[in-house]
Amino acid sequence: MTWFSSKYGRNSGSPFSRGILAIVSSLAVLCFFCFPATPASAVTAREILDRMDDLYRGESSHGEMTMVVVTAHWKRTLSLEFWSKGKEKSLIKILAPIKEKDTATLRSGNEIWNYLPKVKRVIKLPSSMMSASWMGSHFTNDDLVKESRFVEDYDFEVTFEGRRAGKDIVEVTCIPKPDAPVVWGKVVVVVRLQDYLPLESAYFDEELHLARTMTFSDVRTFSGRTLPARMVVVPADKPGERTEVTYREIAFDLDLSDEIFSIRNLQK
Amino acid sequence: MAAVSMNTFILIATYALMQGLLDQAVQNATQLSTGEAQLHAPGYLEDRSIYKTLENPEAILQKLKDRSFGAVPRTYGYGLVSCRTKSAGAMFWGVDPDKERAVLRLAEHMGEGVYLSSKAHRGLVLGRKLARSLNAHVGSEIVVLVQAADGSLGNDLFTVSGILKAAGEGVDRSAAIMHIDDFRDLFVMRSGVHEIVVNTGGRVPLAALKESLIQAVPGAEVKTWRELLPTLSDMLQISDVSMSVFGAIFYLAAGLGVLNTMLMATYERIHEFGLLKALGTSPWRIVRDVTMEAWLLAFLSTVVGVVAGVAVSWVLQDVGLDTTGFAGEYTVSGIAFDPVWRASLTFRAVLEPVLVIWVVCILAALYPASISARLDPVKSLYHV
Repeated sequence: MTWFSSKYGRNSGSPFSRGILAIVSSLAVLCFFCFPATPASAVTAREILDRMDDLYRGESSHGEMTMVVVTAHWKRTLSLEFWSKGKEKSLIKILAPIKEKDTATLRSGNEIWNYLPKVKRVIKLPSSMMSASWMGSHFTNDDLVKESRFVEDYDFEVTFEGRRAGKDIVEVTCIPKPDAPVVWGKVVVVVRLQDYLPLESAYFDEELHLARTMTFSDVRTFSGRTLPARMVVVPADKPGERTEVTYREIAFDLDLSDEIFSIRNLQK
Repeated sequence: MAAVSMNTFILIATYALMQGLLDQAVQNATQLSTGEAQLHAPGYLEDRSIYKTLENPEAILQKLKDRSFGAVPRTYGYGLVSCRTKSAGAMFWGVDPDKERAVLRLAEHMGEGVYLSSKAHRGLVLGRKLARSLNAHVGSEIVVLVQAADGSLGNDLFTVSGILKAAGEGVDRSAAIMHIDDFRDLFVMRSGVHEIVVNTGGRVPLAALKESLIQAVPGAEVKTWRELLPTLSDMLQISDVSMSVFGAIFYLAAGLGVLNTMLMATYERIHEFGLLKALGTSPWRIVRDVTMEAWLLAFLSTVVGVVAGVAVSWVLQDVGLDTTGFAGEYTVSGIAFDPVWRASLTFRAVLEPVLVIWVVCILAALYPASISARLDPVKSLYHV
């Protein structure tokens, strides 16, 4: 999934960022993939990864989700609305809690803008803050911006196929190509055999220590597309912390105007 | 003996200038913001986590006050500052402006505008490089965005009340200083502080200060400026060594000059020494006379050198060398230096060169003296 593959600083303490936008940005897949229950042998590692990259993507998307961030010091729940169009544009708005309502993050290309309703100002995120936490989550701002695809940036192979923990699964191990612009040393993706929906991906740093894991659950069908509605990110160095994202609604391939992704619209 | 005068003069002036530079480095490094020592919660300096606080700062401040140490509480947090279309990451400082003014000198170190007033008023003082990168000036409106201690997004509008002069790399690049009450609002941090800076204005030796702080505030991590600013500490040591090498070269030159002069002077008087010996003068007496003569020369030369050296150092101490033309305000290893380089004349800077030159001159005279003392009276009298 494209949004996970970006950098997540082990020490950044942040959660969730990329997910959301990822979600946003990636949501719009062109078409709904109906994953046929083909035998694994019929589907290559490449197809598995491509499907995973495209799962939350569409030409455009719009939906709502709940993000729960748990850290050693606090726990908070945000309700978010998001829009995305193409690969470049996404917008996330906070619906709740009230204190932060209407705070918005706009991503346009490689730039991130934040709208702060309390002071009614839009501020641009400097590049030095890209590795900082997005909205206090275990995602970084960078997670929101980076676009990469497994099949382009990694060498990969199926490393396990069969039954594990009571589920039929396929495990694909991805090693970054030497000059790929990714921060991970290795990514291990586990999908379920029956429909190749992701179960888990584990991200390892350059020394091949586990940096974070994402687990996928709660498979549901949203406007014709079946996908895991719930994603949980756990940073390996802080096992007590996590960021959970749950889609409440999501729709793909809508006709969204560019106006939605303008700075002017942010301030409305 | 002009050479010896010159050496004395150069050594005194150089020592005074170096001392001035080092004093200023230490002053700027410690008196502006670091202080002589700091207290933190254990482990705070490693990750600067907003949650690692010293609780009950009032009690700690009172204890320090009882020992009549100057102390200022501070809080720190990371965040984003934005001015119109520019934005940058910043380290926010929550300070008590009155205490800062009483104990340290950062409040007087303003390049533009004024320091914070006593009451919280959403004012912000920026480091100069940070201000430049934001293109901010006094009166500019700054949007501040931070992750508060409760996980929420703290944001607010501040107005730039002042911009600091060069105060060290860290401060220049990232400091955004606000009133501690504004900080508490912004970061939703109700109690505790991250740092207590202690300054005695040099009254208490560092080791004793550290000892005293460890006793006064058990459980806090105590660090002196030498531990907090290892670069500066190393720099002082290196400059000590390099000044010694520099001095050694000058002393050697002075010694060789005297050796040469005295050899010539004794060679020219072989007849006279021979006569003295013939009259029964003891060798020891001759050695004494020759070395005495060397010392007298050294004495007269150093008097001239001291007068010149002290006079010049005095002027440099008063007026200073204005380096603005080629350096402007500058920082070395993150430590700020004022553009006007002032000497600092100490008694030691005068005494040391003078005494060492005397000793060197006397030692250098020993060789010609011993030659003279061992002369054969008969041969000397026939010496052409």
